Amino acid sequence: MRLILVDSPDEARGNFYPLALSRPLWELRCGFNSLGEKLIARIGADSVAYFVADYMADAYRAKVDYPVNDMSVLGGDDLLIVDPRIKADSFNVAGEGPSEGGLDEQGGILYARIAKADLAGLSTNDIGEFIEAAKANLPNVESSLPTWQYIWDLILANAGQITADFATAGKSGVEGTVEEPNAVRGNKKDVYIAEGATVHPMVVLDAEHGPIYIDEGVEVHPFSRIEGPCYIGKGSILLGAKCREGNSIGPVCRVGGELEESIIQGYSNKYHDGFLGHAYVGEWVNLGALTTNSDLKNDYSCVSVMLDGRRSINTGSTKVGSIIGDHVKTSIGTLLNTGSYVGAMAIIMATGKPLPKFIPSFAWFLEGIVTKGFGKGKLYETAGTAMGRRNCRWSEAEQAMWDAVFEMTAPMRNRAIKKGRREMLTR
Amino acid sequence: MATVEERVKAVTARVLKLDPEEIKPEHSFTVDLGAESVQSVELVAMFEEEFGIEMDEDAALSVETVGKAVEFIADVCKQQGVDVEQ
Repeated sequence: MRLILVDSPDEARGNFYPLALSRPLWELRCGFNSLGEKLIARIGADSVAYFVADYMADAYRAKVDYPVNDMSVLGGDDLLIVDPRIKADSFNVAGEGPSEGGLDEQGGILYARIAKADLAGLSTNDIGEFIEAAKANLPNVESSLPTWQYIWDLILANAGQITADFATAGKSGVEGTVEEPNAVRGNKKDVYIAEGATVHPMVVLDAEHGPIYIDEGVEVHPFSRIEGPCYIGKGSILLGAKCREGNSIGPVCRVGGELEESIIQGYSNKYHDGFLGHAYVGEWVNLGALTTNSDLKNDYSCVSVMLDGRRSINTGSTKVGSIIGDHVKTSIGTLLNTGSYVGAMAIIMATGKPLPKFIPSFAWFLEGIVTKGFGKGKLYETAGTAMGRRNCRWSEAEQAMWDAVFEMTAPMRNRAIKKGRREMLTR
Repeated sequence: MATVEERVKAVTARVLKLDPEEIKPEHSFTVDLGAESVQSVELVAMFEEEFGIEMDEDAALSVETVGKAVEFIADVCKQQGVDVEQ
C-alpha cells in the first residue's frame, strides 16, 4: 500500500506556526521522532510520497528521499492519503479495502483510501482538486480519529509520547560509553545509551519516573542531570544541563541550563544557563546566555498564545512556554513571557523586561520595539553562517522558501513595525 | 519648506542627540557622529517617517555620510513620487 502524506490546509497549518512556516506538519516532533515517521511506521506503507505547500516544495525536496509534489504518484496501485494532523497511535484504518473518504467534523478529508479501480476517475493536475474529487466521488464516512490541533498539543503530549516511543523502540542498556562515576536512579532497564554516545563522569540519569534514551553520538558532559522521560537526539551535546522530565532534543543541539517538558527540533543551541520550559524551539535557533521563558502565570490560570498577532487562543493548559521559530537569535538575558510566540528569523535584543507575547517573523526587536532592523539580507547571511558551522548549506531553494515566508508574514510584521514607529516618535 | 539636507540633519540631531549646527555633510554617521548599530536602524526608520518613503534596508544602511544620505533620500523621494525641497 502506498502512503501519500498531504499537508493540511493553510488555516490548519497556521495553528502550528511559526514552526510550520518552513516545514510540513509531519516534520514536527513529538517523542523520539517526527509525526510523519510515526504515521509511516504505524501504517506500514510500502512507499511514501509527499504533497507540501508550493512555496516550500523545492527546499523540502532537497531534504527528503521520497517524491515531493509529484502528481504522477497518484496513478497506479491503491493508495492511502493521510492528513498529518492525525495522531499516529490512534490511526486504525486498514490499508486495504474499498475506497473511502474519512471526514472530520467540518467535512474536511482526514484520510482517503482509494482503490486502483477508482483512481482513473479522479485524474487532475492539482492535489487539492484531486482530494475534492475523491471526497465528491467516493463513499464518505465520519471519522473520529483524534488529531493534533495546535503546536502546544505536541509539547503537552511529549512526555507520554517519549514513554510510548521507548517501549516501541524496545532498547535498553549501554551500547555507548559511560565513564565512572555515574549514578542511575530508577530501573536501569529504562535507560538506553546508543552506540557512539558518551556519558562523562558525574552525570545523574534519573529514570525513576520515565525512560531515558540517549541516541548515537550524544555527549553528556559532567554535572548534567537527565530526568526521564527524555530523548536526546543524535549528535547532541549536553553541557552540565539540568534536563528535567519530558524533553525531546533533536539532532545536533547544544543544550545547557535548565530545560523542562520542551521540544527542540534540531540544530539549535541553548548553550548556557537560563530556563526553558514547555517550549517548542525550531531549527538553527541560538538562545543567548540567561535567555529564560516563563511557562506558568502567577495566578495559575490557563496560558493563552497569539499565533497571528491579534487573537489570543486559550491553550486550556496552565503550563505553556514559548513557541520559537527557526533561525531565531536571542541576546543574553532575554526574558520571554508565558505563551510567547517568536516568529521565524526574528532577532531579539533583551530589554530587561519580559518581551511582548508576539514577535513577528523577520522582526528585529531592538530597544523594546519591532523594527525592520538590518533587513532580511543580513538574516540570510547569519543563517548561512550558522548552517555552515554544522556542515549544512543555505541553498537557493531555502532562500526562495524564506522569501515566500517573508511575504506571507509581512502584514503582521508591518503592523508591529508601525506600532514601533509610533513609540519611537514619542521617545 | 526645509530642504532635504536640513531635514536629514534635524532627524540625525534628534536621534543622536546632537546640535544640528554641528552636523556636516562630510560627517560619517558612525565614526564622526557616534551612531551605534541600533541607532543606525532608528535613523533609517525616522528618515522614512520624516519623508514618507520606504527604503531598502541594505541600501540605506550602507550609506555612510550625511551628504550621501541626503543624495540617497532625495533619489528615493524622486523614485517614489514624493515632492521635496532640494
